[in-house]
Amino acid sequence: MGVTTDVSRRTDVWPWVSTVARLGLAAVFGIAGGLKVTDLAASGRAVYAYRLMPYDTAKVVGAVQPFLEIALALLLLIGLAVRFSAGIAAVVLMIFIAGIVSAWARGLQIDCGCFSKGGDLTGGRTARYGLEILRDVGFLLLAGILLVKPRTRFSIDGLLTRWI
Amino acid sequence: MSKSARDRASAKRIVEQQKAAARRRRVTIWTSAAVVAVLAIAGLIGWGVLAGQQHDNAGKLTTPSVAVDEGTAFAVGTGPVVVDLYEDFLCPICHEFETQTGPAIKQLISANKVTVRYHPVSILDDKSNGTKYSTRSAGAAAAAAIDGKFTEYHDVLYANQPAENSDGLSDAKLIELGKSVGLGDTFATAVQEDTYDAWAAKATDTFAARGFTGTPTIVVAGKTVEGPNQTLPTTELFTQAVTQAAG
Repeated sequence: MGVTTDVSRRTDVWPWVSTVARLGLAAVFGIAGGLKVTDLAASGRAVYAYRLMPYDTAKVVGAVQPFLEIALALLLLIGLAVRFSAGIAAVVLMIFIAGIVSAWARGLQIDCGCFSKGGDLTGGRTARYGLEILRDVGFLLLAGILLVKPRTRFSIDGLLTRWI
Repeated sequence: MSKSARDRASAKRIVEQQKAAARRRRVTIWTSAAVVAVLAIAGLIGWGVLAGQQHDNAGKLTTPSVAVDEGTAFAVGTGPVVVDLYEDFLCPICHEFETQTGPAIKQLISANKVTVRYHPVSILDDKSNGTKYSTRSAGAAAAAAIDGKFTEYHDVLYANQPAENSDGLSDAKLIELGKSVGLGDTFATAVQEDTYDAWAAKATDTFAARGFTGTPTIVVAGKTVEGPNQTLPTTELFTQAVTQAAG
């Protein structure tokens, strides 16, 4: 086989890598939102635990956030405007990381509420901020892949470029 | 192929490429707009659902007549030092605190040293397989308070505390436990009809608005009492705080 085949094969791998990243990110946001959407009051309390905004604001943010996460998950799942959606996901993840860093820096003992409704930790449970940040950075990496290589398989984007 | 034919072919190719690029741009613009629209709608739905729930709760809200402290707590004892206890009936550490320090609290109440304001809150509703045991038990405790049996019912609930991530106690069991401490039909009706469940949500809201996030939260004369590294305080720490507050 010639050199050309090798090159074309290598470029063909990216859409598959990106597809995995896209579906993975969709799962992350879908699960995160799904766990919170069943108890919006608890989600609002988790946001307030960061002590970054007044309670009434935190209640609204806590209620809106899971719906946004689920919507973003669905958009990534169907692959609509993948680069743009991944950009939003990256911004959201950076806000989450900033929130955790600020809680850590202020010595707050809270559950990040990333995959739960969060809240204060009581009874000797310690916050594992380092791990939580590392995990979010991992998710950020998935979004990064999509920002650089937004072409994926089984996406609405792909269908539209062929049709229109 | 002649030179002019080649030129025409390459010009045609360039035009095709430009058309394709324009097509891709159009797709990008419209799909991005769709994404923004979907997210905006999702956000509005979240806002709407929250407003709906709050409106629902406000409509169903029945504040127990005997509740004190903005209608969020039940007072036991008449001593000078006010102790606020925020507890979830499903919370294992609250159970631990009740077992560990409960007897000392009872002594302080009967010695007329403290007034204990019990705030039942429901922050663990997601830990009873969807049956919302935290809310139901807090509502039942409110019904018990109206009939003057708060302490008795509070104690029997902790003695029969279900495990987290179980279904919690059924309404029938909550009523049965009420009967065992002498509560009657009005109590049973209140439990069956969830009369005070909206109140439990309101009390939890007040708890959160005061900046508290975990249970048990133990406040003696306005100051939160806790052990080192935000652990449960020992009975000694707790009684010390009471003595200090008494001056």
